[in-house]
Amino acid sequence: MTTTTPETARRDPRGAEPLLSVRDLTVTFKRQGEDPFVAVDGLSFDVRPGQTVGLVGESGCGKSVTSLAIMGLLPDRGNTVTGSVELDGRDLLTLSNKQMRDLRGSDIGMIFQDPLSSLNPVVPIGRQVTEVLERHKGMSRKSAKPVAREMLHKVGIPDPDRRLTEYPHQLSGGMRQRALIAMALACEPRMLIADEPTTALDVTIQAQILALLRELVEEMDTALIMITHDLGVVAGLCDEVNVLYGGRLVERGDRHPLFHDPHHPYTGGLLSSVPSLEGDAAERLNPVPGSVADNLPWTSSCAFAPRCSNAIERCREETPAAVASGDRVLRCFNPLGGQASPAESEEDRR
Amino acid sequence: MSTAATEPASDRAKGDRTRGDKGEVLVDVQDLKVHFPIKRGIIFDKVVGHVYAVDGVDLQIRRGETYGLVGESGCGKSTLGRAILHLEESTEGTVTFDGQSLTDLGGEDLRKRRRDLQMVFQDPMGSLDPRQSVESLLVEGMKAHGIVGDAEAAMPRLKQLLSDVGLPAAALKKYPHEFSGGQRQRIGIARALSVDPELIVADEPVSALDVSVQAQVINLLADLQEEYGLTYLVIAHDLAVVRHISDRVGVMYLGGIVEESDAADLYANPLHPYTRALLSAVPVPDPDVEDTREQILLSGDLPSPANPPSGCRFHTRCPWRQESRCDDERPQLRLVEIDGTTGSHKVACHYAEQIASGEIQPHDVETQTEDKPKELREAEGDEVADDIPFT
Amino acid sequence: MTPTHRDARDPGTKGPRGLGSRKKERIDELAATAGASGPVDEAGAIDDTAGVSLIASAWRRLRRSPVFLVGLAITIAFVVLAIVSSWLAPHDPGEWLLYDKVSPQSNPIPGPEPGFPLGADDKGRDLLSRLLVGSRQTLIVGVCATLFGLAGGLVLGTLAGAFSGWVDSVIMRIVDVMLSIPSLLLAFSISAVASRPSQWTLIIAIAIVQIPIFARLLRGSMLAQRSKDHVLAARALGVKKSAIVLRHMLPNSLGPVIVQATLVLATAIIDAAALSFLGLGNPDDRNPEWGQMLGRAQTYIYDHPHLAFYPAICIIIVALGFTLMGESLREALDPKSRR
Repeated sequence: MTTTTPETARRDPRGAEPLLSVRDLTVTFKRQGEDPFVAVDGLSFDVRPGQTVGLVGESGCGKSVTSLAIMGLLPDRGNTVTGSVELDGRDLLTLSNKQMRDLRGSDIGMIFQDPLSSLNPVVPIGRQVTEVLERHKGMSRKSAKPVAREMLHKVGIPDPDRRLTEYPHQLSGGMRQRALIAMALACEPRMLIADEPTTALDVTIQAQILALLRELVEEMDTALIMITHDLGVVAGLCDEVNVLYGGRLVERGDRHPLFHDPHHPYTGGLLSSVPSLEGDAAERLNPVPGSVADNLPWTSSCAFAPRCSNAIERCREETPAAVASGDRVLRCFNPLGGQASPAESEEDRR
Repeated sequence: MSTAATEPASDRAKGDRTRGDKGEVLVDVQDLKVHFPIKRGIIFDKVVGHVYAVDGVDLQIRRGETYGLVGESGCGKSTLGRAILHLEESTEGTVTFDGQSLTDLGGEDLRKRRRDLQMVFQDPMGSLDPRQSVESLLVEGMKAHGIVGDAEAAMPRLKQLLSDVGLPAAALKKYPHEFSGGQRQRIGIARALSVDPELIVADEPVSALDVSVQAQVINLLADLQEEYGLTYLVIAHDLAVVRHISDRVGVMYLGGIVEESDAADLYANPLHPYTRALLSAVPVPDPDVEDTREQILLSGDLPSPANPPSGCRFHTRCPWRQESRCDDERPQLRLVEIDGTTGSHKVACHYAEQIASGEIQPHDVETQTEDKPKELREAEGDEVADDIPFT
Repeated sequence: MTPTHRDARDPGTKGPRGLGSRKKERIDELAATAGASGPVDEAGAIDDTAGVSLIASAWRRLRRSPVFLVGLAITIAFVVLAIVSSWLAPHDPGEWLLYDKVSPQSNPIPGPEPGFPLGADDKGRDLLSRLLVGSRQTLIVGVCATLFGLAGGLVLGTLAGAFSGWVDSVIMRIVDVMLSIPSLLLAFSISAVASRPSQWTLIIAIAIVQIPIFARLLRGSMLAQRSKDHVLAARALGVKKSAIVLRHMLPNSLGPVIVQATLVLATAIIDAAALSFLGLGNPDDRNPEWGQMLGRAQTYIYDHPHLAFYPAICIIIVALGFTLMGESLREALDPKSRR
């Protein structure tokens, strides 16, 4: 057993140059005979080496689409991606499919929610890890094998020699997720995108995986984008938190100020609707009313207004702009006791 | 409002469905076992082993309370819930509901009895027939139990049901795919309420919902309990949710209950090593708590329920494991008296007192790789292969 | 299609409009009402429109699918043709009108001439009239063979899917045996066993070949339904078993079967042509049928390929129509494509 107390004072990566810089990323889906649907709207954020950036939000907030857009994994047809995603000054959105394939796995690794469907069911685990090494590092199968074994060991898979020859279905959920992480890390990517990596796992396994990710970020100075709906995971892991709603950033802040003093009513609503392990259990929860189906269009209002307890008339008539003050960004006309955003004109955005 | 007011008077007046006192035992589960055979064979299936999904559970649920059952996936909590409802055949043991043994009931008697025991499902979309309108979904149960003759007569009650779960009457003519997840779950709850049950088994009622919507449904369940005097068995993996809605909580591990107590007591004084680990692993949306707390990281995974460890089921991962006794002797769920706990705290651990007092200290666990018999492993492989659709 | 709120409100709108614009309208309405009434109810807004069932929403999607519309157009044209062909045909398809022009050695197949744009067949019967009228028999063979196959498959599949255990095992073993015999061979044997081949032996032969396909398909999707939560929910509710099977499991399993039926319609016509080609069809050729015409054309295939060409084209177009319709139905009924 290991009893861990995460270091309170982590190395502050904020001074470093951003490794990945997303600017004004917009993803629009267009289906035949239907109006275009803007899944991600003008999203910008930076990720630095050794930094963990969280994208938080509920279903439909655009967090997974963001990760797919960064990875170039959106389908070729039916969508348009604008803005820029720069990795070391190189815009990923302008790369060809082949260039992106070379980049994925070597410079950027990705971990998905469902490890079983992300692994090839008819290829042994070991082979799947060595394939990545062969593909990106040009290793021979023979020389890749000990590296694969080492990777499996590193992510905490016991008895890696045996596991190398096993198929995904023979592994438990936690082991599969570890195998997937081993694959993502095989080529020591500088950037790791984790899309709900622990959602399908049990809490005790989740704790193991999160501890593993934390360790990797610190040891290998990897930049990590953590996509999740679980505020608890964010509170423990992320340095910077981006709260998304309806495809747009509504609030950004470092985790301590954000969790202690949420400015956006949506962030506040999320925090107050989660039952806690401490405090009075009999106390009634304070849910956010409605669901994302009640959203207003961002183009002429604040999408969250119908569900918002703080909404004023202006929220339904104008679009609030995202305003930065220090490390925090907020998009709200009537925040929880704070500075309001000005209205956003269409010209500002273009 | 009392239940009787919404119920057709004739039905209630018969007296066979009058409710007993709050606090008496409504559901009594004795030594319940559900074992699924693992079959293999080319022509004739041969049983090569069993999955011990539920393996000897004693459980009492009192009228009017909410019993929370927590555990990780594969611990058998869902199977236990279904076995209590007799939706899953039990291998051994008895389930007594309101003084009547459900295990002996069959056929038409069982079908009629189902009126008193309802279920709310995890996946609100999958649990609603996509081809039925909300109206016909809600009327179906009432018709099956002769509560209403036709849809016309049911209308006032349908509207009442919908308003109980916070939906407008306009929802009646709609179909499940036209609702949001939270609204669908409300319909699922309304369907369970439609036959006026006493016990509702809610299997992960909020885990498929968005965070902001979860709280709506949790509040709704609490309101309905108050209004209709319902008894709940809530099955969930989310410890915070269970703490919030339960009066008593049982923790399950590999087919057995390892600890049971009042909710507040259990969360304040977890005695079983597994409960401690589980509680320490839950991420809390508070960075200060996250930064400072001690996590007990369990090594390894849940062993396969097809091949559970001998002795204490948890000994393979337990940081407090002691030589031989933990490996050999399966601890029974027993009442313990330790300072600070209530008198009804039960735990299935040989050394609960010594661990609580600090007499036994945690140590590192050698990660054990699970060695299943070869046949079993192959059998499990087959199960996966069978899932590949026939083309 | 079920009349909806939208149709009722703006009857003047022509042509299909996107779901997106509908959604936008809803949002506008919502904005209008919400502006006045403040925040939404806790459960979220529900608009006051009548519901749209799965079938209705599938139809909405189908209406906009060009593939489906082409398939539907071909199918309707075919059915209409089959009904009105006797009035449409310039001549009686059974009459040996140009028989005196047929000479087995020099001119076995009379060519086109005024009044007979496609010429005649080996007995001097007008080819155009035979093609037109042939659509009727072809339709009867296709539809009847599919219906009989579907009916048989539905019964076997429902029984197997509803009762697990030995009923399922027995039925499925029978079906497996039927599947293990090559379909054409099975049809061949059935036609051959019949003392006097006729149109009906053809239909029955093709239908029996289809039964195991339908049965397996239905059983598979019934089994998938059986493990669904909504079926468990109905059991928990205390609904009778027969009602669970007929109200919940069967209707939800029919989608793939219906799609298969439209595809089978196309193959039934082709199979009928194949059997006729092998001489197992209706020996009485006074009532023409495309498959049969194709079969008879084999004698003259080298010198007069047009005799085979015309019915073959007809069969291809009709089969294409049904297949296009089936494929777009499959897509529309697929729950994954719904949004």
